[in-house]
Amino acid sequence: MTARAGMRVGLALLQLVAVSVGVFVLTTFLPGDTAEVVLGPLATPEQIEMLRGQLGLDRPVWAQFADWVGGLVHGDLGRSIATGRPVVDDIGSRLGLTVVLALLAVVVLVPLVVVLGLYGGRHPGSPADRLITAATTVAHAVPDFALGLLLVALFALQLGWLPATAAGSVGLSGLTAPMLVLPVAILVSNQLGRLARQVRIGVVEADAAEHVAHLRRLGLAERTVLLRHVLPAGVVPSLQQFARTVDGLLGGVLVVEALFALPGLGSGFVAAVQTRDLPVVQAYALLFAATTVVVNLVADLASARLVPQAVRL
Amino acid sequence: MTTLGPLTELAVAPAMPRRARLRGRTTRRVLRVLGWVLLAVPLLVAVVGPVLAPSTAPGGVPLQQPGPGHLLGTDVLGRDLLGLVLVGGTTVVSLTLASLVLAYAVAVPIGLLVAARGRILEGLTIGLLDVLLALPSLLVLMVLAATGRNGIGWLVLAVALVQVPYVVRLVRGAAAAPSCLATLEAMTMGGEPWWRVRIVETGRRVLPPVLVDATTRVSGVVGLLSAANFLGVGLDPAVVDWAVVVDQNMTALFLRPSAVLLPAGLLVALCAGTNLLVDDLLERRA
Repeated sequence: MTARAGMRVGLALLQLVAVSVGVFVLTTFLPGDTAEVVLGPLATPEQIEMLRGQLGLDRPVWAQFADWVGGLVHGDLGRSIATGRPVVDDIGSRLGLTVVLALLAVVVLVPLVVVLGLYGGRHPGSPADRLITAATTVAHAVPDFALGLLLVALFALQLGWLPATAAGSVGLSGLTAPMLVLPVAILVSNQLGRLARQVRIGVVEADAAEHVAHLRRLGLAERTVLLRHVLPAGVVPSLQQFARTVDGLLGGVLVVEALFALPGLGSGFVAAVQTRDLPVVQAYALLFAATTVVVNLVADLASARLVPQAVRL
Repeated sequence: MTTLGPLTELAVAPAMPRRARLRGRTTRRVLRVLGWVLLAVPLLVAVVGPVLAPSTAPGGVPLQQPGPGHLLGTDVLGRDLLGLVLVGGTTVVSLTLASLVLAYAVAVPIGLLVAARGRILEGLTIGLLDVLLALPSLLVLMVLAATGRNGIGWLVLAVALVQVPYVVRLVRGAAAAPSCLATLEAMTMGGEPWWRVRIVETGRRVLPPVLVDATTRVSGVVGLLSAANFLGVGLDPAVVDWAVVVDQNMTALFLRPSAVLLPAGLLVALCAGTNLLVDDLLERRA
C-alpha cells in the first residue's frame, strides 16, 4: 500500500516535471519568436533585438529553462511584460474569487448530485429518471457561454432579477451575492451531468448487491439501508469524476469568468493570452496544469484508501 | 470515460412495475424525437444555409431593426444577421469533422500498434499519454494562441491532439477484448503475417466501438472549438462562425439580443440534440 502510494506520488512528480517542460517548450521553444509575437508586425528589428535582450531570449535555450525553473523553485514566477508587476501578485489578487466560486459551486453541487443520483439509481428507467439523465447530460454538453447567454437573457434581460455582469468590481470586495448566482448556476449545471450519472450507476450497482438484499431481509429500515450502505458504496466510483470537477473549477473557469467579467484566475489567464504577456501565460499554464496533477493525485490516494482492493495505483 | 453510462440498468429492470417501465419507454421515445429535431435544425442550417444566405459583407448600418432589406436586422458590424446565422454553421460542422477525423487517424493506428507490440512500448506510450491527459484542453489552445499560433490549422491540430490520449486508450482496450482475441489467435495459427492479424483484422473489429466513441466526442469538440472562438483565441475575427458572431455581438446583448441568442441557440441545439441521440444509441447498444 505505502509502496504503491509512493509510486503514485513519484508519477505525479514526473508529471509535474513533464508539464513544466511542456509549458516551456510550447511558449519559448517552438518556431516563432516571442519578441516578435509580443511586439507585433510593426516593430523594427532594433526593437525586437532589444526586447530579446531584456527577456534573455538571446541566451541558449537550456540556460533560459534553468533560469525559469530556478525562479519557480524560489517561488518567483517572473514579471508581467505589460505591467512590470510580479506575476505572483497578479495571481494572489485573483485567487480568492476563483476559490470562492469553486467552493460555492461544490456546496450547491454535492447535495444535488446525491439527491438526483440516489433517486435515479433507485428508480432506473422511470420517466423521471430518464428526464433527469437527459436534462443533466444536455446541460453538460451545451457550451457554457451559450448556456450562460441564454440564462443572462432570461434572468437579467427579460425578468431583471439578477445582474448580467460583475464588470467594474475589483477583487472580491466589490462583488455582491446576486452577481455570483448565474456564474455558479452555469458551473453547477455544466458539472452536474457526469457526476449525477456516475452516482446513479454506483447506486444501481450497490442497490443490487447481495449484502444489501440481505440487510433488507434482516429487516433493517429502508432509510438505514439506503443512507448507510447503498449511498457510500455508490459514491466511491464517482470520486475520480469529482476530482476532475474540482480541477475544472479551480483552473478551467475561463469562459464563465470571461462571460461575467469576474476577476478570477481564468479571466487573468485570458487577459494575459490576449495581450501576449508570455511570462504571465507561462505562470498560469503551469499553475493550472499543476492543479490538475495534484487534484488527480489526491483523488487516486483517496480512492485507494476508501476501497483498497478495487483501485490499482 | 462516458461509456460507463448505461451498462448496468437492464440488469435491474425487472424490479420495476410494468406500467412504470412502459411510461419510461414513452419518455425515451419523446426524448429521441426531440434529439432528432434539435440536431436537424442547426445541421440543416449549416449544410443548406450558405446556399440561401444573403451577403454578410460588413459596413451596413449597425444594429438595424428587422425590415425588408434585412429580414432579421443587422449586427454590431452592420452585417445581415440572417446571412450570419445561415453561413456561421459551416465552420462549426466542418472543423468538428476535421478535428475528429484527424484525431482518429492518428490515435487508432497508435492504439493498434501499442496493443499489438509488447508491454514496454505499451507502458511507455500510455505513460506519455497520461502526461498529456494532465493538460486541460482549453489550456493547450490558449497557450498556442498566446504564442501567435492561431488560425484554422492550429485550431484543428490542437483540438485533435487533446482527443488522442482518450482514443488510444479506447482502441487498446477494445483490441484486448476477449471476443477479439479468439479470432486473432486462430488467424495467427493459420500463418497470417502479424500486421494483417493485429492491424487490419483488429482494426476492422474495433471499428464499431470507435464509431460510437466518436459520436460521444462530437459535442465536446463543438464545445471546445466554440469556447476558443468565444474567447477570441480561435478563428480569425473576419470568419463568419456562430461562436465568433456571439463574441462580437456580446456588447449589444441588451440592444439587439437576437444577434447573440440566435447563433448561441443554434450551438445549444446542436450539442443538446447530438447528446440526446448519443445517449439513446448507447442505451440501445447496452
